[in-house]
Amino acid sequence: MADTEIVFHAKGLGYTYLDRYPALDDVSFQIRRGERIALLGANGSGKSTLLKILDGLVFPTSGELSAYGQPLTEESLADPAVNARFRSRVGIVFQNSDVQVFSATVREEIAFGCLQLGLSAAETAARTADVLDMLEIEDLTDRTPFLLSGGQKKKVALASVLVMNPEVILFDEPTAALDPRTQHWLIDLIAQLGEAGKTVVLATHDLHTLADLTDRAIIFGENHRVLADTQTRAILADRSQLIAANLIHDHEV
Amino acid sequence: MTARVLKPAPAWLVSSEQPIGPGRVGRRKRAAFLEKTLGDGAEVVRRAMYAESADPRGDRPGVLFRIDPRIKLVALVVLLLGVALVHTPVTLAVVYLGLVLLAWAGGVSVGAFVTRVWLFVPLFTAVALAPATLSVITPGEVLVPLWTWHGAQEGITSQGLTSAGLVILRVACSVSLVLLVTISTSWNRLLAALGALGVPRIFVMVIAMAYRYLFVLLGSVLDMVLARKARTVQPVAHTAGDRRFVGAAVGTLLGRAGHLSEEVHQAMTARGYAGQHHTLTGFRASGLDLLALAASLMVAVVIVGGDHLLR
Ligand SMILES: Nc1ncnc2c1ncn2[C@@H]1O[C@H](COP(=O)(O)OP(=O)(O)OP(=O)(O)O)[C@@H](O)[C@H]1O
Ligand SMILES: [Mg+2]
Repeated sequence: MADTEIVFHAKGLGYTYLDRYPALDDVSFQIRRGERIALLGANGSGKSTLLKILDGLVFPTSGELSAYGQPLTEESLADPAVNARFRSRVGIVFQNSDVQVFSATVREEIAFGCLQLGLSAAETAARTADVLDMLEIEDLTDRTPFLLSGGQKKKVALASVLVMNPEVILFDEPTAALDPRTQHWLIDLIAQLGEAGKTVVLATHDLHTLADLTDRAIIFGENHRVLADTQTRAILADRSQLIAANLIHDHEV
Repeated sequence: MTARVLKPAPAWLVSSEQPIGPGRVGRRKRAAFLEKTLGDGAEVVRRAMYAESADPRGDRPGVLFRIDPRIKLVALVVLLLGVALVHTPVTLAVVYLGLVLLAWAGGVSVGAFVTRVWLFVPLFTAVALAPATLSVITPGEVLVPLWTWHGAQEGITSQGLTSAGLVILRVACSVSLVLLVTISTSWNRLLAALGALGVPRIFVMVIAMAYRYLFVLLGSVLDMVLARKARTVQPVAHTAGDRRFVGAAVGTLLGRAGHLSEEVHQAMTARGYAGQHHTLTGFRASGLDLLALAASLMVAVVIVGGDHLLR
């Protein structure tokens, strides 16, 4: 397979918070363009940390990571051109949408990323309108994101990433806090994005939608290492891995 | 590896026992002072900063809203300098009235503008200045005798009052000027203007970050107050517990502040932020802007000059 097809290549990634709290240990994998991957693991196993590393927001304390064939490091991202290119290709939806909304109005919030990356004001405004319409949140346009409900904030956070139309989207528990109808809608959307050829990496605890949304699953153990990396269907069929990761237990139907 | 099944819940949790509570229904206690203040304070600041962090939303925004933010910032600096050079209370009082008039003409809600200024000014200045009005500190003609010292009347002097008034008015004018700019300019445009005027990127970034997580923090304060309220069954013995709560809350907040500022910054970085602000509506200097610039320069000259004549 051509090297350009490999989006992320991780070799022995390790991450420790404050030199004390391990979050990832010796994690290796490759992610190819267009793959739809689930990150599974019990609370605290390191999923969110891995997503932030993949998005170049924190940097591994050991091991190596490359994105699109280039090393993804603090130094490489210090180059504004490299940074802009990477940011426009890879988007992340945070687990905590409180931190992801920071502008004075929803409109500015959604426009933020496109403007930072140099899209014209007219184009940005048009795209913003499209996303507002798609998410059915036009009535929130002039509201202040901080003062919205949890689910509304999540929608704004989603909109602010989708509007940039990234090739790779990292989702950290995207359906948490959404009402059932919106959850369904989002699952459909993620499925559509996958069909459109986007690379989707999804940290989730929702095993029911897993088979629809992803083809491959990486399971993290409570020792912060990769426990299994295989087809989603295989993992769902053979429940022993899920049990070993403390994701489900024996009696669960 | 053996699967660890969730531990069974303790019996008391799954029994149908009565919830913990006072044996009898107690009198309703007045809300704990500190707790209330903490919550109210957060809410007040949140409102003050958001209610009108106005982008021109109405059909026809006031003239102040339409001036280019860069011009507003330059005018602000010029007028602040002017105010700093004034030495008589009369001139400052005139300037202040002028500012209120400007707010009214410029489409800013006068009520909110005036209350916001006088909410902060007395708080920060009056208390600090009170001693300066006394004859022991500012000798002079005693207006309000308070006590005698070695046969001499001591009390509040007219000279003391004048100098205190001067400081209060100057602060009021300066705060008003800053408010006029911040009320009539959306935050992102203000930051973009700072950048356009050559303020170093790192400063703009620090200001932006401080402002952004202030709100996340305020949310945390409110949540903590509510979370505590939800767990407090019987609000007795306020004071000691309150102080402990506030102490612990402040500690937690500081920890959270660091963590949140980091996460907010990550969220901004993830969307391409590198210290430069870009906004939806670009800058364009119009006739109105030039007029505003010229007017502010002239006003600064007039107040400083007029003040010299008055002295
Ligand atoms: N800022 C931080 N400081 C210190 N330790 C942290 C920090 N963030 C996470 N950790 C620790 O790192 C480990 C991995 O955390 P992470 O958030 O990546 O887990 P997760 O798999 O996303 O969990 P969840 O399913 O609960 O979201 C945890 O043990 C956590 O306590
Ligand atoms: Mg997580």
